[in-house]
Amino acid sequence: MAEEMLRIEGVSKSFGPTKANKDVNLVLKKGIVLGLAGENGSGKSTLASMVCGMQKKDSGKFYKNGVEYDPSSPADAAKHGIAMVVQELGVVGNLPGVVNMFLGKMDKYTKGPLVDLKAMHKDADAVFEKWGLPKVPLDVAAGTLSIEQRKIMELARALITDPDFLVLDEISQALSQDNREVLYKFINNFISQGRTILMVTHDLEEMVEICNEIAVLRDGVIVESKPSKEYSMDELKRLMIGREVSGDYYRDDQEESYQKEVILSVENLNVPGKCENISFELHKGEILGICGLSDAGIHEVGSAIFGLEEGRTGTITVRTVNKVLKKPGDIIKTHGAYLSKDRDANGLMLDASIGDNLILPSARELSGTAAFLSPVKSRNLAQKASEAFEIKSTGLRHIVRRLSGGNKQKVNLSRWLVKDLDYIILDCPTRGVDIGVKAYIYSVLRKAKAEGLGIIMISDELPEAMGMADRILVMKNHKYAAMLSRNTDFTEDKIMEVML
Amino acid sequence: MSKSKKGSFNINTWLPVIIFVLVAVIFGIATKGNLFTSTNLMNLFNQSVPTIIAGLGMLFVAAMGSTDITCGVIVALVGCYGLMVSTNVSPILMIPVSLLIGLASGLLLGYINAKRKVSSFMASLAMLMAYRAVVNLVLSNTSFYLPDSLAFIDSLAFKIISVIVMIAIIVYIFHYTRFGVYVKDIGENEVAVQHTGVNVDMIKIAAFAVSGLMAAFAGIYMVARLGGTNNTIGTGFEMKVMMALFIAGVPVQGGVGSKVYKLILGAVIINMLENGLVLCGTSGAVTQLVRGLVLLAAVALTAYIGKRFANVGVEAARNQKETAEEASK
Repeated sequence: MAEEMLRIEGVSKSFGPTKANKDVNLVLKKGIVLGLAGENGSGKSTLASMVCGMQKKDSGKFYKNGVEYDPSSPADAAKHGIAMVVQELGVVGNLPGVVNMFLGKMDKYTKGPLVDLKAMHKDADAVFEKWGLPKVPLDVAAGTLSIEQRKIMELARALITDPDFLVLDEISQALSQDNREVLYKFINNFISQGRTILMVTHDLEEMVEICNEIAVLRDGVIVESKPSKEYSMDELKRLMIGREVSGDYYRDDQEESYQKEVILSVENLNVPGKCENISFELHKGEILGICGLSDAGIHEVGSAIFGLEEGRTGTITVRTVNKVLKKPGDIIKTHGAYLSKDRDANGLMLDASIGDNLILPSARELSGTAAFLSPVKSRNLAQKASEAFEIKSTGLRHIVRRLSGGNKQKVNLSRWLVKDLDYIILDCPTRGVDIGVKAYIYSVLRKAKAEGLGIIMISDELPEAMGMADRILVMKNHKYAAMLSRNTDFTEDKIMEVML
Repeated sequence: MSKSKKGSFNINTWLPVIIFVLVAVIFGIATKGNLFTSTNLMNLFNQSVPTIIAGLGMLFVAAMGSTDITCGVIVALVGCYGLMVSTNVSPILMIPVSLLIGLASGLLLGYINAKRKVSSFMASLAMLMAYRAVVNLVLSNTSFYLPDSLAFIDSLAFKIISVIVMIAIIVYIFHYTRFGVYVKDIGENEVAVQHTGVNVDMIKIAAFAVSGLMAAFAGIYMVARLGGTNNTIGTGFEMKVMMALFIAGVPVQGGVGSKVYKLILGAVIINMLENGLVLCGTSGAVTQLVRGLVLLAAVALTAYIGKRFANVGVEAARNQKETAEEASK
């Protein structure tokens, strides 16, 4: 039996009347990865943040290496060898990456009033080197890095203090397939040195594969904790939700099924340095997946079609109305929509109400004579969207920032799908969403497909693309690599083969 | 799904009213009721009109989270060139020329901000200085007077009717049209609005144009009130309008919390404050000090109440709990 690293004994935490954690008991041994499973709001992040000193526990005790441990701050936790990579990106956009990495740890590098950037660079590089993390440009402003690069930078930042206990909260969500492989390699390396990882992730397949043990939280209570091999996927889902999940998660048919009519045709789409010569056709009732490694250019295809990329060339024609797309507004006028991967930054108005958010894309259709935007019509539309998508809130005035990730995405999706669309481009539609909402989104997409909506689904998750798409366009190094068909080609090996 | 409670008390909605009542009561007592004599109420009305009119325009810019500090100098331009044309060419041209000046200035500022990506504060600061010079060029050695045929602008009946009409039009545009919604939504998240296919640049330019146009209207009222113009007209007016906006809880960062009624209350509050201090016999320096302190207090109070009554941590936890409960059903 391995030694224990961290013992959690009877820990509880309340926010006002809500108990986020109730009498949690958990033992984490040395040299393992423990996965914390649970739906949004089950108390995973609360537990993790208490361990890292970001929040105070109400009662109970932590023991680190057998000694009682009560962190007063993340810095205090770091002194005890505990570090965390948080779910919400926490970087200062205008500061260079290297300064971000050493925020709060700058004392060592100050010489009088000056900061020794060179030494910081050297130490930062050493961390990347030591753990075999992919290089991230650290001398440019962190805000200009991609989400993926920032995430890797944050991981490196957590590793600066050389912790022996690491908490990873939803880290792989932001990563694409190849960087996930890097992450998994890192995890193995880390625990092989007798260190421990507490991992929070929504991706159950990943969790079962990576973690040695899994603890399931539901409503703040640990309902099960055992080696991951002893779980079946269905059992895990059932434990998390507390009821059976029906089997139809992805599509159950194994054949391409779409109508002949072409909705959107993309010819020779080029964006300098991002994608080259991409051509494809989207049919009525088709789900076209677009997959590729990180930096393969899959996300740029979406934003280029929408018209946000500088220097785009090529022809994008909407066949239903025979119109060539030129500027961002055109896609909306041709009954199309584009949902960016970064929901919070590019999609939602976080500090506005659900109602305000739901109305925004339909403002053009809602306004009548003398540009009158009827409050009644607007409220009805918002009500309709919110009810059709079962958005859980206290009403249309509820501020979007206070919704869970899944409900935010429901707001984001529903406001487009209530419109009369011919096609929609979804960039990672289930990012940061728990399985309950994930299943819901898939069912909505299946229904929309059956009604003839053409869907382009750009996805970082292979199982999702294989589960939902009719065809998958695989990109490699910004170029077209292959077009795979649901009929024959949908195996992970086959897709990975073309991707790499 | 619970229906949104229509009648629920929202402190953010009522705060401007509370501040209004507070200022009215304090100065009512301090001036021993002199604040509310009919002559003084007339004064207050006359002083508030330009602030309200210019504020109605600036509201569009503030809702986007941008700044336009050119309204004071547009008043001066109107006084200078509007009256110059009316004196030298024809009195009636004063109004169209003034409005054109305001509109053109707004369009230019909008273009510089939206297309050339210069921060609106910096761009309007630069324009403020340049315009001042253009005004001084003419007014340093001449002055103009309002032609008698335009004196009707300062009559009470005309003022009341025209101000009500303008408020009604702006309320309609700001609260009940797509343009108004977009302007506020840009203040919430510009990128999100862009992602819904809206031509954000055009909306911005239009918002600045409205601001310039309304500043010109304000200028016409001010010139009519003064009966002429000198080269200090409109100095510091932009600050007064901005105070009117923010003292009554229009969010400094813009967004859906921007409301016409807040501006109108704010305009009256700020003028009541100045008027009340004059009645109390305070010196000009003290008046400035009090203005500054009251603005600071009002903005701090708005921010505090915004936080206190929307405690994100607690509410988020409750919301998560609700989500979890509903999911487990």
